Amino acid sequence: MGYREKHSVETHNNHAKPIKSAVDKFALLPEFLKVRGLVKQHIDSFNYFINNDIKKIMKTNDRIVCPQDPSLYLRYTKISIGKPLEYVEHATEELNPQLCRLSDRTYASPIKVDIEYTRPNQTNKEYKKDLVIGRMPIMLRSSKCVLSGKDEAELAKLGECPLDPGGYFIIKGNEKVILIQEQLSKNRIIIDTDSKGRVNASVTSSTHETKTKTVFFMDKDKIYLQLNQFSKPISIMIIMKAMGMENDQEVVQMLGRDPKYGFLLFPSMQECRSEKIITQKQALEYLQGKLANLSSLRFEINKDDRVKKILINVFLAHVPQAKDGNFRPKCIYTAVMLRRMMDAVLNVETFDDKDYVGNKRLELSGQLVALLFEDLFKTMNSQVASRMEKAYDKASRSTPLDFIHYMRSDTITNGLERAISTGNWDLKRFKMNRKGVSQVLSRLAFIATLGYMTRVSPQFEKTRKVSGPRALQPSQWGMLCPCDTPEGEGCGLTKNLALMTHVTTDEEEGPLIKWCRKLGVVDVEDLSGEELHAPDSFLVMLNGLILGKHTKPQKFANAMRKLRRKSVIGEFVSIFVHERQRCVYVASDGGRVCRPLVIADKGVSRIKEYHMKELRDGVRSFDDFVREGLIEYLDVNEENNALIALYEHEIHKDGHDEDNADGQKSFITHIEIEPFTILGVVAGLIPYPHHNQSPRNTYQCAMGKQAMGNIAYNQLSRADTLLYLLVYPQRPLLTTRTIELVGYDKLGAGQNATVAVMSYSGYDIEDAIVMNKSSLDRGFGRCIALKKQIVVKETYSNETSDRIVRPQNEPRKQALDADGIAAPGQIVRRHDILVNKQSPRNKRDRITNPMALKDCDYAPSNVSYKGPEGETTVVDRVMLYSDKDNKMCVKFIIRHVRRPEIGDKFSSRHGQKGVIGTIVQQEDFPFSERGICPDLIMNPHGFPSRMTIGKMIELLGSKAAVLSGRFHYGSAFGEPSGHADKVEDISRTLVEHGFNYSGKDLLYSGISGKPLQAYIFMGPIYYQKLKHMVLDKMHARASGPRMTLTRQPTEGRARDGGLRLGEMERDCLIAYGASMLIYERLMLSSDPYQVQVCSQCGLLGYYNHKLKTSWCSMCKSGDNMSSLKLPYACKLLFQELQSMNVVPRLKLTEY
Amino acid sequence: MEGVSYQRFPKIKIREMKDDYMKFELRETDASMANALRRVMIAEVPTIAIDLVEIEANSSVLNDEFIAHRLGLIPLVSDDAMGMRFSRDCDACDGDGQCEYCSVEFHLNVRCDSDQTLDVTSNDLRSTEPRVIPVDVAARSLASESGGFDSPDQRGIIIVKLRRGQELRLRAIARKGIGKDHAKWSPAATVTFMYEPEIHINEELMETLTLDEKTTWIESSPTKVFDIDPNTYQVRVVDPEAYTYDEEVIKKAEAMGKPGLVEIYAKEDSFIFTVESTGAIKSYQMVINAIEILKQKLDAVRLQDTEEADIGELTQHLGRGL
Repeated sequence: MGYREKHSVETHNNHAKPIKSAVDKFALLPEFLKVRGLVKQHIDSFNYFINNDIKKIMKTNDRIVCPQDPSLYLRYTKISIGKPLEYVEHATEELNPQLCRLSDRTYASPIKVDIEYTRPNQTNKEYKKDLVIGRMPIMLRSSKCVLSGKDEAELAKLGECPLDPGGYFIIKGNEKVILIQEQLSKNRIIIDTDSKGRVNASVTSSTHETKTKTVFFMDKDKIYLQLNQFSKPISIMIIMKAMGMENDQEVVQMLGRDPKYGFLLFPSMQECRSEKIITQKQALEYLQGKLANLSSLRFEINKDDRVKKILINVFLAHVPQAKDGNFRPKCIYTAVMLRRMMDAVLNVETFDDKDYVGNKRLELSGQLVALLFEDLFKTMNSQVASRMEKAYDKASRSTPLDFIHYMRSDTITNGLERAISTGNWDLKRFKMNRKGVSQVLSRLAFIATLGYMTRVSPQFEKTRKVSGPRALQPSQWGMLCPCDTPEGEGCGLTKNLALMTHVTTDEEEGPLIKWCRKLGVVDVEDLSGEELHAPDSFLVMLNGLILGKHTKPQKFANAMRKLRRKSVIGEFVSIFVHERQRCVYVASDGGRVCRPLVIADKGVSRIKEYHMKELRDGVRSFDDFVREGLIEYLDVNEENNALIALYEHEIHKDGHDEDNADGQKSFITHIEIEPFTILGVVAGLIPYPHHNQSPRNTYQCAMGKQAMGNIAYNQLSRADTLLYLLVYPQRPLLTTRTIELVGYDKLGAGQNATVAVMSYSGYDIEDAIVMNKSSLDRGFGRCIALKKQIVVKETYSNETSDRIVRPQNEPRKQALDADGIAAPGQIVRRHDILVNKQSPRNKRDRITNPMALKDCDYAPSNVSYKGPEGETTVVDRVMLYSDKDNKMCVKFIIRHVRRPEIGDKFSSRHGQKGVIGTIVQQEDFPFSERGICPDLIMNPHGFPSRMTIGKMIELLGSKAAVLSGRFHYGSAFGEPSGHADKVEDISRTLVEHGFNYSGKDLLYSGISGKPLQAYIFMGPIYYQKLKHMVLDKMHARASGPRMTLTRQPTEGRARDGGLRLGEMERDCLIAYGASMLIYERLMLSSDPYQVQVCSQCGLLGYYNHKLKTSWCSMCKSGDNMSSLKLPYACKLLFQELQSMNVVPRLKLTEY
Repeated sequence: MEGVSYQRFPKIKIREMKDDYMKFELRETDASMANALRRVMIAEVPTIAIDLVEIEANSSVLNDEFIAHRLGLIPLVSDDAMGMRFSRDCDACDGDGQCEYCSVEFHLNVRCDSDQTLDVTSNDLRSTEPRVIPVDVAARSLASESGGFDSPDQRGIIIVKLRRGQELRLRAIARKGIGKDHAKWSPAATVTFMYEPEIHINEELMETLTLDEKTTWIESSPTKVFDIDPNTYQVRVVDPEAYTYDEEVIKKAEAMGKPGLVEIYAKEDSFIFTVESTGAIKSYQMVINAIEILKQKLDAVRLQDTEEADIGELTQHLGRGL
């Protein structure tokens, strides 16, 4: 990739300040991205689903039994997912992504199962292998995708772009991303206050079977349980008793010896006593009375059983029963929850923060598809069972019962396809009803695509007016990008992953538990209640469950970490010692965000120069670093147990205060790999972002996604509905490391424009820019807009079909070829015919021989180009394919090349957008004595209020880059590590090449030839052309189409609508007294209508053209008719009111 | 003020003259004159450039408009441009480029049949008029005729690259035009001038500086304007024109506590021009043509002033808009 040469240059450049002994760890980054990649979290989670999760789902639902005859059953024995292919008319066709994109198909693989089943009256089982039960959409670049493991040449052969990250699906030709969903942690105790200010502890239990929420809250000093199944809050002591803890003392003991806990529980105990509940039986009986009768009528089972069932399956559902079926684990869990809650009551600081990233889990596409699949799989199984049930009664000898006949593959196929293409996740089982889970992958810019893959969609609806979740959390450091968030309603809620973030997938708990036990974790089952909170011990929690306790928590944690570093347990397992809660949290669940860090021993990095050399030589990979315990992944919680230094040499820096420095040094446990990785992909494009005012970086993150440029290497063979490409995209002169890592240097979206920061004419106010016409002539900002139009050759129910015929020499058919389809390269304008198509006149009635229809049986149904008026466009490509119903389709890609014009929007990479204010001839432009003439002029007023110092440094750096012939760098926080050139060095380069150190030049006015009064800050800045162009927006109309209902002008540009004179404008005119103007605008230019009004009854009559008189049909006379003008909408209102039995009467007076 | 003449007689002194580069001094005139000359060179000296492209076959990766734009920007040898007609006021044709007075036809017919990428360059353009060819082609044929050294870049101006089986076939018509209409007709790559600086060193004050101070002062200028005489250790001006009016030396002198160490003025009446040509016209021809056009324009103004004559000639040059 060429990082190495750059390094040598850099080190050479930084001779002024040698970096003491610090190892440059940057080389790790490209390696990390090679293994983990930017979308690795998506791909990992999908792979996990395909390879493991799907099997678990099958195993839990592996049996379909005929309701009438239990001996009739079907059992799944194996499930697997094959290669992506499609069955077309009894033949299989292998699919590849590009094929699916172009021919509007779904990129999916068959789901194959092995089954065994019985048939009536037959003793031996039937076996069937590789039965297809549906098609699973395949994520691009996942392990089942044809693209996985392919090199660049192979990808090119498949028509795929090597820089495309994958991680999305192709459904009916559309690229769909399943966004990362942010959620509160499952199975964790969260202490919070509710809307009434009551302290509450809640747990959302989530198991494969159920999903429930248990809430404890404290109201008037008493603690209650709230559960949906109970109509009222239940005192906590009653629950304890119902679970078999009849003795109050036992409960108090479980909470801990300290009397303060007992005091807090005392009111609850009193309440329990006042209810006269002492035994378990009494408690259960009490609970029976409190049952919410939601579905009590349906289940006519023992009520006592129901309460017990609720306690087992709903109350803290994730805590398993003890082996002998008693409630002890749940009692202990309840006690721990109560204790945490009481701690919060006693000490406000122990509340949990819901916005803390460590309390959040990210749900990835794999998990979401798994949910969906599980639901559909169960639906399919129940459908099979019900079909079997129906068939069982009708079964006869001639049609023996056979499960195979009742297996339909379309339930799963259609269900998955529908959910992913609409984004609606409707799961009956979990009462889940989420919208917008999947979205169309934006292909507007390469960066927009990448941005989509790292986007995290929020858990709350966006309308909530709370600031907490929107604020930047300190725990987001390094995990979520601090810059990249949208403006407006989604601000702070929609987030993006940082560069090095990894999201975990589920991991087996079994071995972990074994190791914990081996390391001295004492099982809670073996402990008395009092020992639970013994002062010398810490509880050990594994994924939210109480595993046991340990007397030497720090030692235990260190031992576990050692195991992780030795790769004995998974690399993503987190071990976190919570001092205040006196807990050790061990987590191996999926959805935690984590990131790699270099391990340091007393501040000394474990990575030495020889490690890096081995990496550079290619004998060592990133995984080796992890395996050998040089690097480890820390999640947000475990980061709290670490002291992380930014740089290794920073530790050495304060050398003069030796003792202090050493003291500090010894606490450092980790070192960051590179500080700029706290930013995400999109923010990584900004040069010198750490010199900008922070909102500017956020603005740029939004705008970088609208910049035109190259989309992918296969951009010209794609068929997107709308694609904007830049004719001459460039690589920024001032790059960042992120740009190189993600490939923005290969698929740039902008051009290096020479910018003069000065005022010129009056056309540059309010951020407008002045453009050099010659630059535009030479291709600056030129872009190609590609639009898609599809024509379907329809087939009809009577087996006739449309036909496409050779054109006669007719008007508007000049673009057509002899085959009746417009040819590539032909110039088309609006209304020009693209396909010379004819439809049969008779589409319904059965016709004996559809092929023998005569010419006269067809009526023309030409398809014309639906572009805007006055635009001269060219047919770029024509593609013929057959869609899923085997109809012939023609896809036209229509091209329009545009050069920038006044009003087109441009932006630099610092959130500084502006439109072209005027285009000026080159000879009028200022020039320097070296003959340099700027491409565009930017007004200096853009700087003081925006404070985008980064842009100024970019200008300087780019200027130095041009002069020295070396790309300069501006990575975030990169100056100390040499990933950003310092202004000092840049100035030196400028001076070396005979320029002013400050980047200012003496310019001469192009109009007068005299030197300008001031020195002008001039140099190249990378400018992006944004997708908003006047051509697509400009609109004016004199008269035009009207709405049929109201006869008022239509609305909107697309319908050639009028420009509304709204309420506020009307108010102005009223205030001004321009009554005739109002009359003209609101009536004459809108919907004037002549009506006949009967002055007798005040209702509308009509004009009889035959008799040439007006007539009131109410009064049955034409005597008192008068004619007047009304807005048609007003007449319509009268009539609508009349239809609702309201009579509007007009009272007429002489005027 | 009738009858008072402000006539001056500007002088040109040529310093350096090459086909594509020229440096000359323009003296005894003012900025308006110098700037007019510059502006005319950029925008109004006519050249020939491809203006109309008819694409017969294009299976290359670049689209038709893209190639047409690239073709237009190829500089063509335009020595005859002054004598040619603008196609819009050509009597012999309808301006569709069929006649010899106003247009030159080019043909391009390339097909790649090898496995290697084929570069379509300006070499492949076939002109119907041997005097109007791409400038790099002309330069190379000249170099090979004179038997001199080979041009380092033999490839020509690249238009598009073709892969096996791709083809580009087109007909292009080059027309006369001026840079004002489109930058492709501008013969100027760079036309710029500077005021000649006049540098006076205050020798007395300078002598108060030590040698070290002198060198630091000299080095404060980003360009090499001053030097130290190795014998006398006196500061001398080596290249006044290297001075970029950045005032660095003046600021430095002030910072050193020696204001007035040097005084630099711009001579208001002498200019140093740098002219670089795209190759379409030789640089000196460009200057001559520019003066010619400037004269025509002035004539037009004068005629209009005195006798209310038609300003056709002027409009002719300025194109449709005026």
